[in-house]
Amino acid sequence: MTALVFDRRRATRTLLWLLLGAVVVLYAFPFVYLVLTSFKLPTDVISVPPMFLPKTWTLANFHAALSAPGVPAALLHSLEAASISTVLSLLLAVPAAYGVTRYGTVPGQVFIMGALVARMVPPVAIGVPLVGIMNSVGLNDSSLGLAIAHTTISLPLSIWLMASYLDAVPVELDEAARVDGASRIGALWRVVMPVAAGGIAVTAIFAFLASWNEFLFALLLTSIHAQTMPVVIANFQTQYGLQWGTMTALATIYSVPVVLLSLFLQRRIVAGLTLGAVKG
Amino acid sequence: MAPAALFLAVFVAWPLVKLLLDSLYQIAPLAGTKRYVGFGNYRNALSSPEFVGSAERTAIYTGIVVSLELTLGLATALLFNTLGRRSRVLRTVFLYPLMIAPIVAGLLWRFLLIDNFGIVNELLTRVGILHTPAAISWLSDPNIVLFSVGLPDIWLTTSFMSLVLFAGLQNIPGELLEAARIDGANARQRFTWIVLPLLRPVIAVAVIVRGIDAARAFDVILIQTNGGPQQKSETLSLLIYQTMIRYGDPGLASAMSVMYLLAMLVTAAVALATIWRPGRSQA
Repeated sequence: MTALVFDRRRATRTLLWLLLGAVVVLYAFPFVYLVLTSFKLPTDVISVPPMFLPKTWTLANFHAALSAPGVPAALLHSLEAASISTVLSLLLAVPAAYGVTRYGTVPGQVFIMGALVARMVPPVAIGVPLVGIMNSVGLNDSSLGLAIAHTTISLPLSIWLMASYLDAVPVELDEAARVDGASRIGALWRVVMPVAAGGIAVTAIFAFLASWNEFLFALLLTSIHAQTMPVVIANFQTQYGLQWGTMTALATIYSVPVVLLSLFLQRRIVAGLTLGAVKG
Repeated sequence: MAPAALFLAVFVAWPLVKLLLDSLYQIAPLAGTKRYVGFGNYRNALSSPEFVGSAERTAIYTGIVVSLELTLGLATALLFNTLGRRSRVLRTVFLYPLMIAPIVAGLLWRFLLIDNFGIVNELLTRVGILHTPAAISWLSDPNIVLFSVGLPDIWLTTSFMSLVLFAGLQNIPGELLEAARIDGANARQRFTWIVLPLLRPVIAVAVIVRGIDAARAFDVILIQTNGGPQQKSETLSLLIYQTMIRYGDPGLASAMSVMYLLAMLVTAAVALATIWRPGRSQA
């Protein structure tokens, strides 16, 4: 009798593992297929019926992608805008979150709520007024201008995340530093920040990705000098017809680094993602 | 706090004020003229079938995407939770689409769903669900396009749902479930009476965060169908964008944006109040 129950439980477990395995394979499939396709001969990319593995492995698509006008520059612009935006986001979010957690007062709560509401604003709603503003301060079509626009997206999230992380650092730590003669900024910089370094790293990754992957602001705010990869990828289909081979290569070049990043930093990212929601 | 508040004020609040003002004017960007029309733009928007239609489509799209994500996310979260620690490697694989740009995801799915050489139809045919790969035109059939354009969105963010819900499940005290088991509750009863109520606040946050994102969907749809065919996948973001750029009517577009933003705030507030119920469910 007990053996039977035990067997049934084991069978269920095996079944669940198989189910989960199937789900994960299904989930990984689209990206694997994208990467494999980028190594096919341009004519094999659109073969009927489609093939899963490349018949001949080739770098032709990558060659075409990287020699297409504007592509190397766009990669650089993406990196530039995302880096500036990450720094800007952190510079603004860390002190703000520190303020909110250390003087947990009514204005602090209002501020956090305000940051949440800011997250709900559809980019398309502030995109066009932003173009006007950037024009008037001369930041149109510049990486700095785009980075500022991207920071409007990442800042609310960064403040939210940082507030959760700083909340976990005991106040006694900065009090001790103050007793030893550090200023508030000094206490934040030398004592609190090192303790919260992991949280800052996660926040930085999110800010970076928000800018790296963003499309609409990049489309509205940049043309030649600061155009980023998502816009270039999107333009590809209209300018050159549908060159799937080159497009899959571009998509692979743009996504593989961040996918690898996510695999390496998996645990930290998961912690960051779930923190806000589960605590809330 | 001050610098961040200033930044948000200048680059978020100020554009919103501008948006509000613009919505009261009829603006011709090329001629450079501006004429005060009061709520004229609002009346025009509300009486135009495009606006009402795309508002409906946005709601339907958000509904489809979020409910599928919640279902799949909860199912996978339960699987991960049941299988425990050893499923961590699989969780890693599950995470990766979150990092991919929506524009890339849209492009990728468009490629997967192409009628004649798309791999999805090919696989469905081989498995025997379709009799020919041309049987379903995912992105050009007006009746199903609103669902098809949502696929990349579902693929991209089901993992977010799943991870958030998984973290929520991990926070449920094991003794509670053990006690229920001893009292004779079966798996389904434990799920309905213990897990679901305790998970409620987490579900609320996840659904609201994803709902807001889905309602703003822009790049994913733009790259797949650009709103077509017959505008059957044109959501509000796309319509506002087209109104602004293609038809050059910023006044009307601003009025649409204002209504869109208000609707989102109200929906989010109502959703928060009804699903979350902080007083009752926070154990």
